[in-house]
Amino acid sequence: MEFAIISTLNGVTYGLLLFMVSAGLTLIFGMMGVLNFAHASFYMLGAYVAYAVSSIFGFWTGLLVAPIVVGLVGMAVERFLLPRVHAHGHAHELLLTFGLALIIEELIKLFFGDFPVNYQMPGELRFSAFHIFGTDYPFYRLFIGGIAVVMFSALWLLLTRTRTGIVVRAAERLPAMAEALGHNIPLVFMFVFGTGAALAGLAGAVAGAFYPTNPNMGLELGVIVFVVVVVGGLGSLKGSLVASLMIGLFSSFAVGLDWSLANLLGLFGLGDWARSVGGLLTLELSSVSATIPFALMLIILLVRPAGLMGERN
Amino acid sequence: MKRLALLAATSALTLGASALHAEPLKIGIIESLSGAQTSTGRLYANAVSYAVARINEDGGFNGEPVEVIEYDNAGGAPDAATKFRQAVADGVDVIFQGASSAIAGQLTEDVRKHNLRNPGKEVMFINLGGEAMELTGDKCQFYHFRFTTTAPMRVNALVSAMKEAGDLGTKVYSINQNYSWGQDMQAAVETAAAGGDFEIVDEVLHDVNKIQDFAPFVARLKSAAPDTVFTGNWSNDLLLLMKASGDAGLDVTFATAYLDQPGNIANAGETALGHYIANNYDNAATDGEFAEAYKGSTGHYPTFVEGHTVFAVGALQQALGTLDFGGGDIDVTKIALALEDTTYETPVGPISVRKEDHQTIRPVVVSKVVKNAEYPADDTDMGFETVEVVSGETAIYPVQDSCKMVRPGE
Repeated sequence: MEFAIISTLNGVTYGLLLFMVSAGLTLIFGMMGVLNFAHASFYMLGAYVAYAVSSIFGFWTGLLVAPIVVGLVGMAVERFLLPRVHAHGHAHELLLTFGLALIIEELIKLFFGDFPVNYQMPGELRFSAFHIFGTDYPFYRLFIGGIAVVMFSALWLLLTRTRTGIVVRAAERLPAMAEALGHNIPLVFMFVFGTGAALAGLAGAVAGAFYPTNPNMGLELGVIVFVVVVVGGLGSLKGSLVASLMIGLFSSFAVGLDWSLANLLGLFGLGDWARSVGGLLTLELSSVSATIPFALMLIILLVRPAGLMGERN
Repeated sequence: MKRLALLAATSALTLGASALHAEPLKIGIIESLSGAQTSTGRLYANAVSYAVARINEDGGFNGEPVEVIEYDNAGGAPDAATKFRQAVADGVDVIFQGASSAIAGQLTEDVRKHNLRNPGKEVMFINLGGEAMELTGDKCQFYHFRFTTTAPMRVNALVSAMKEAGDLGTKVYSINQNYSWGQDMQAAVETAAAGGDFEIVDEVLHDVNKIQDFAPFVARLKSAAPDTVFTGNWSNDLLLLMKASGDAGLDVTFATAYLDQPGNIANAGETALGHYIANNYDNAATDGEFAEAYKGSTGHYPTFVEGHTVFAVGALQQALGTLDFGGGDIDVTKIALALEDTTYETPVGPISVRKEDHQTIRPVVVSKVVKNAEYPADDTDMGFETVEVVSGETAIYPVQDSCKMVRPGE
């Protein structure tokens, strides 16, 4: 019971963090069809901007400024870089953002050095929310989760319940028609891209204070964020939420489970044989917990290529 | 016609000039200078350059300054193999590399094959940080020298020092990365259990630098209720693990191998206090003379891998001092033989090469994170305090049976 509760808590909070980072990626892809490889770099940029600002003006200012700065960078990318390759199709957009990711990483190293920087959460947030089974549960994990929930609700309401949302969705569905009705489509796209980037920046500013802020953080999270988006269904906000939570929970539960193929074969009386063979048969689930999301992605792609809730096929 | 004669004259002049020059010793650093491991690769490269500058201040070798060429392996074995070929084409005699056992494994094989195929044009490899046991086991070879510790040396030193300080306890947890180094650490902890009078309550191997969230691992760790956690984790895997256990309010002591990686202490904050590390060198264990000299030249005290990297080049310098090629061709085999016989005095004790497998016998420094340290880490008020300097004779382990070294001329 203790194991189940703790693992669920950890899994849900980690899943919400994944959602926070992948929300912007999903938004950009869903609305514009651009697969932004530099998204995780925006996440890293957010953490570093927040670090730089917070060391002078305090944590909360950093939290506010980071999404704005990263959002502006995102808008600039959409305005000045993407249109140049747009005519050549999605592959070129992907390659451009891939190059951008490499450049951002090296720039970060140039300005902030190769080592992790000392970006810390403020003292007033560093306390344990509650005490469960003899372990403190850090408040900041709940804080990350809370921000993710607020982010999801706000995006959801914005897209489905407001006039702006209608315009954005119209721009995605029938750009020519929306333009004919007098809406400035390039401007809409620029803002969508900017918002997506800003969300990544916010995620970086929040998560960077909990996890180390280093030049590799984009690389490390970038891959897993793509897995989330693919599993959830490219462009589906709800899908990414479900996929993030699934991946969070799977990885969290896998760590505590010593399951291996040998145990499974043990049910048929082949346990000793399997252990003597070793190798893959005795590989414990916990030692491959970080690989589970990729296995999940493989299965989803085989069974349901559009993802859990994706519309595009 | 006139122009042709001029050309002939100039080329004759250049040829004559080059004949007057002796052959310089060329050192190649094949390091991770871009990509995820840049932070470590850069430190190795800088420390080698610093130490070679010392050789050149003392007059170089073979009548020429020693040349250093840096090659970027981009953190991967395939790129390292390409850069090795380039280094050979550039006439490099000695190769240095430190970050990643996988790359060291690639290089030592490349060096072995090259030397088999090109007798008389040998290259030697000084391994500064590849600690995988197989490098002095299955893959051991004459032209590979390991100038760093290995898992058993670090674990044995930690166990003996922590036991003496009364910080070891009786229940030990082992959590490591699932590749050669992590598995070596786990095996070393298992081997040390009998001598250290402790019980291993649980063992975990996990993916390398892929895990963002260590909270589930800490939950599992907590349920085993250990006194001490042994981990060979480095970089994010160590930092995240320590932060997660600090956030959960666990009362355990970490026994680590890479806690002194720059940025770790600042990022972990107060959580780091009281944790142990065993490594090759620490400023606090010395009289500070070397530390000040290093700072005078580079602007900072030697940290992490820089100290022992300088000593490796120092040992090479001492070996070179016993040789004289009279400005002629450089014979790498003679350098390797001389290095085998070198005992180099470092500020923490002597380093010598064990001829059977070319592992160095070297002291291991065990330190603990304290407040108001003599050499503060990462601009904090915390740093390392020396608990014990374990001598090379105590820390060393038996030669592995798998090592079948073919010596030159055999």
